[in-house]
Amino acid sequence: MKEWSIRAILLAALVGLGFWGWHVFFPSPEKVIRKRLGQLAKAASFSSKEGLLAKAWNASVLGEFFTPDVQVTVDVPGTQHTLSGRDELLQAAVGARSAVSSLTIEFPDIKVIVAPDENSAVVNLTAKGKVPGQRDFYLQELRLRLTKIKRDWLIYQIETVKTLS
Amino acid sequence: MGTNADAAQLPPWLLRVLIGRNPKRTLVRIVVLIVVSFVVFRFALVPIRVEGGSMLPTYKENGVNFVNRLAYLFHEPRRGDVVAIRLLAGEHVMYMKRIVGLPGETVVFHKGHLFINGKLLDEPYVKLPGNWEREPVQVGPDQYYVVGDNRDMLWEGHVQGRAKRELIVGKVLL
Repeated sequence: MKEWSIRAILLAALVGLGFWGWHVFFPSPEKVIRKRLGQLAKAASFSSKEGLLAKAWNASVLGEFFTPDVQVTVDVPGTQHTLSGRDELLQAAVGARSAVSSLTIEFPDIKVIVAPDENSAVVNLTAKGKVPGQRDFYLQELRLRLTKIKRDWLIYQIETVKTLS
Repeated sequence: MGTNADAAQLPPWLLRVLIGRNPKRTLVRIVVLIVVSFVVFRFALVPIRVEGGSMLPTYKENGVNFVNRLAYLFHEPRRGDVVAIRLLAGEHVMYMKRIVGLPGETVVFHKGHLFINGKLLDEPYVKLPGNWEREPVQVGPDQYYVVGDNRDMLWEGHVQGRAKRELIVGKVLL
């Protein structure tokens, strides 16, 4: 009886380990997208200590998250414009980096909806930007559309959305 | 082993303070307290921290408050209520605003004053008035018009507008 229970515990542990391993080595698309967006927030953040080389490197890293034909539509009070293509987006990112000394970006809420074919996804997220030294933070709701190219999830559309109309 | 020896060395009065007269009962009390706290702070009173200045001076920055999720179980939100509104992506960040317009009403800002259906709304909570001038906005049948108390801000920098009823999480408690 004792031997039996030990075997049962071992079996349960093995099943648990297998389950955990499966999720680690074969994560769901949602988990991959969340991880990718976490990396994006990190890549979009920068500090005043960054040198010129680091700035250029980080800007190029940022480009890896988007398709070459990415479309960005910004519609916020006082500003309304569209960016077409990765190069234009990266130029805007470099411009933002020179406008403020440092910026911390977080995505406190991410809601992922993966298409049934698991090759595209829509993400609603809350982006929070904080500039050190400033009292207020920037809050922006975004809707991203992603597509799976080979094994990478790339953003091909970004638009601002509003809870309050 | 060492813990038992240490426990045996503690004065009886301290033992009683730490684990009570009956350790089993103390354990049960702790478990009940944890479960009740979890249920209350997750499903009834959600703790929040105020960030930003749009509700000044009523709610100061970095103040801690609670959102009563059960406030609108038996009645709909009312004018003047300060509510938490969740964003489209989730609830980790919420807007904290005051309801000024009810479903079906027309809201307009003229020379900094708020008019509902053409009638001036008395707003004693507005201590920082502004001079906003906006076109009339019709509130939908399932919407509420929300705005912050601090009107001494640029219109562009002050998030406000029509919120769907389903996005109103609850009423701010204090």
